[in-house]
Amino acid sequence: MRTTRGIPGLRARSPVAGLRRRTLGPLGVLAQSVATTAPAGAMAAVPLLVTTAAGRGAPWSVAIAAALVGLVVASIAVFARRMAAAGGLYSFTAKGLGPGGAYACAVSMVLGYGLLVAAALVGASWYARALVERLWPVDTTAVGVAVVVVLSGAIAACAVRGVRLAGRVMLVVEGVSITLILAVLVTLAVRAPAGPAAPLPPVGAAGIVAGVLPAVAAFIGFDSATALGVEARRPFASVPRAVAVTAGGAALLYLVAMLVHLAAPTVLPALTVAAPDGGPGAAVIGDWAPLLLDAGIIASFGACTLAALNTLVRVLFSLAREGVAPAVLGRTHRRHHTPAVAVGLAVPLLALPPVVGTLAGVEPQDLLGGLLALATVGFLAAYLLVCLAAPRFLRRIGELTPAVVVVAWVAVPVLAVVIVVALVRPGGVLLPVTVGLVVLAAVAGWVALRRTHAAELDGMGVYDETTASDLHLASRGGG
Amino acid sequence: MSPDAARTITGRQPQAVRSALAILEAVAAAGIGATAKDISAELRIPPATTYRLLNLLVAEEYLVRLPDLRGFALGRRAANLAPAPLATPTAARAVMDRLRGRVRWGAHLAGYVGHRLVFLDPDPDHPPADPGELSRHLHASSLGRLLLAEHDEPLAPGTRLTPHTVVDPHELRRRLDEVRETGVARQCGEFRAEFGCLAVGVRAPGDGHLVAGLALTGPAARVAAPNEDLVEVLQGCAVELAPLLA
Repeated sequence: MRTTRGIPGLRARSPVAGLRRRTLGPLGVLAQSVATTAPAGAMAAVPLLVTTAAGRGAPWSVAIAAALVGLVVASIAVFARRMAAAGGLYSFTAKGLGPGGAYACAVSMVLGYGLLVAAALVGASWYARALVERLWPVDTTAVGVAVVVVLSGAIAACAVRGVRLAGRVMLVVEGVSITLILAVLVTLAVRAPAGPAAPLPPVGAAGIVAGVLPAVAAFIGFDSATALGVEARRPFASVPRAVAVTAGGAALLYLVAMLVHLAAPTVLPALTVAAPDGGPGAAVIGDWAPLLLDAGIIASFGACTLAALNTLVRVLFSLAREGVAPAVLGRTHRRHHTPAVAVGLAVPLLALPPVVGTLAGVEPQDLLGGLLALATVGFLAAYLLVCLAAPRFLRRIGELTPAVVVVAWVAVPVLAVVIVVALVRPGGVLLPVTVGLVVLAAVAGWVALRRTHAAELDGMGVYDETTASDLHLASRGGG
Repeated sequence: MSPDAARTITGRQPQAVRSALAILEAVAAAGIGATAKDISAELRIPPATTYRLLNLLVAEEYLVRLPDLRGFALGRRAANLAPAPLATPTAARAVMDRLRGRVRWGAHLAGYVGHRLVFLDPDPDHPPADPGELSRHLHASSLGRLLLAEHDEPLAPGTRLTPHTVVDPHELRRRLDEVRETGVARQCGEFRAEFGCLAVGVRAPGDGHLVAGLALTGPAARVAAPNEDLVEVLQGCAVELAPLLA
């Protein structure tokens, strides 16, 4: 790399050159985080999942989850205000925990985002099948496969065309589905009769704690704007804001959905796929509502696949630029300046499990649940690492404040507990065993890379550094 | 939720504004590489406040963080606060006068301040367009394209000033690639329908960064011709001017 005369360490060209630098407006950055979180889809599912565990204490579970996510947001902001990276959290972690932490975080993110893409594909295909089944009672396996294939093709094309287009698409889709679902929920809650539904059982503190996991899982992906640091126009302002607004907005939506559910417990179960005939509720509230809700959720899942893919390919791109992943993943599209090769390799691979699962007749509910559970563990591990890295990073650059230390001290143990709960909760040994295998594979990968690519590992944490052209003329030394 | 730095400072907090300006001044005075701790100690502003204000100034691009993430320097946007007065040495004026004697077109020498264009020696017989207007529409002039080609930044769709103006970002990007390849920027009737211009960069002898642009303006149809001999004369002048301006 050419360095500019007079200022040591200042490069003439950013190490992540190739992406379209500093173009994306604040709305596009926000859209990325919002779409990955997919609050529209989660709004319909969260109240049911959380009340199963926490009963009437469910709003408290959601509130605790939101507070925990708030701590993670604060830790992410520490980095996002200071560096703009394509690798998101793992590039951040590298600056605080060094290569070991960065590698662990990168593995967690690839696992989390990759499986989130696959899970959202399953989700979209599941709800599309349910929608078709409501209208025509036929076998919909072919529909399910077709939805996965068409949607994968569409998101691949959008991801290659670039985040500007993708952002607009996602913002519209997500905005429409949130409005739709909110409207349906609130209308129905107001109009639904005080049905014969059994009142929810009061559950103690243990129940509330158990409800935190599904509530936290509903937030995953709010960090994904951090992968757009290179492409955002004013990354140090727009990226932390996008992350905070997404987390805050999602918390608000989940609390509203939660309260609506508690006020009218018959509405949601009658609407969702769990009761395809509409259950007793549909007779009272009409057939239009489940259809609208399904459409909203399909759209939300669709936007989520695209957004999660956007982040995944940027993480792969960043790893490739560091030399940790194959260099071919670091190639960008000549005209659109996006990691096109990573898109082309990742999408078919991620579409495979949904297609195979659907053809093999696995219940979409189980497939979605399994993929999401594993993805959640990946995300939680990445969040834990970034919280751990924040104070160490600040101490290294001499900007440590007590508040950040407190945040880390609270967030890290709580996240660790949530991860343990996620692994040991009654759901069979499949999840812990899978996670164990992933950890073993990752450790083996680390040992192998240490042998062959030690220098590349030490160089992890590439980000969009200040280049000579960002400096005031008078400071450039060249005159 | 994380406090948003931009929103914690309002016009009702004169102390914050004062501190921000003091920090800007301190970084300018300290030169490249002042750390947050240095600045906090020097100005006696509490560390947490200093860090927040520094992050805000970096987010707004008045300051930049250096690659070690500890040090700060003035950002490109700070140039807008006080444009440096550009003096044109007599020797450079003499080169321009000789050039004007050899060609029958308007010959202008322009410098670049951040992303603005300032005339160092405009042709008195063929007054150039307003520098403010040229700076707003860098995509449509040859001097502006030299600057855009230098920075290789994302392009927003430009304004269509004449029917010929290239506004499509992809097409413009192609033109800029051409500028980087040939070293010559050219436009025919894109800024003013009947005029065109061609320009070459004056580059610093050391690291070769763009210091100024040397442009010839004339009727659009004549600019469109290859004008190889003219380009050669221009390039010769640019080489002569380089040590005088850098």
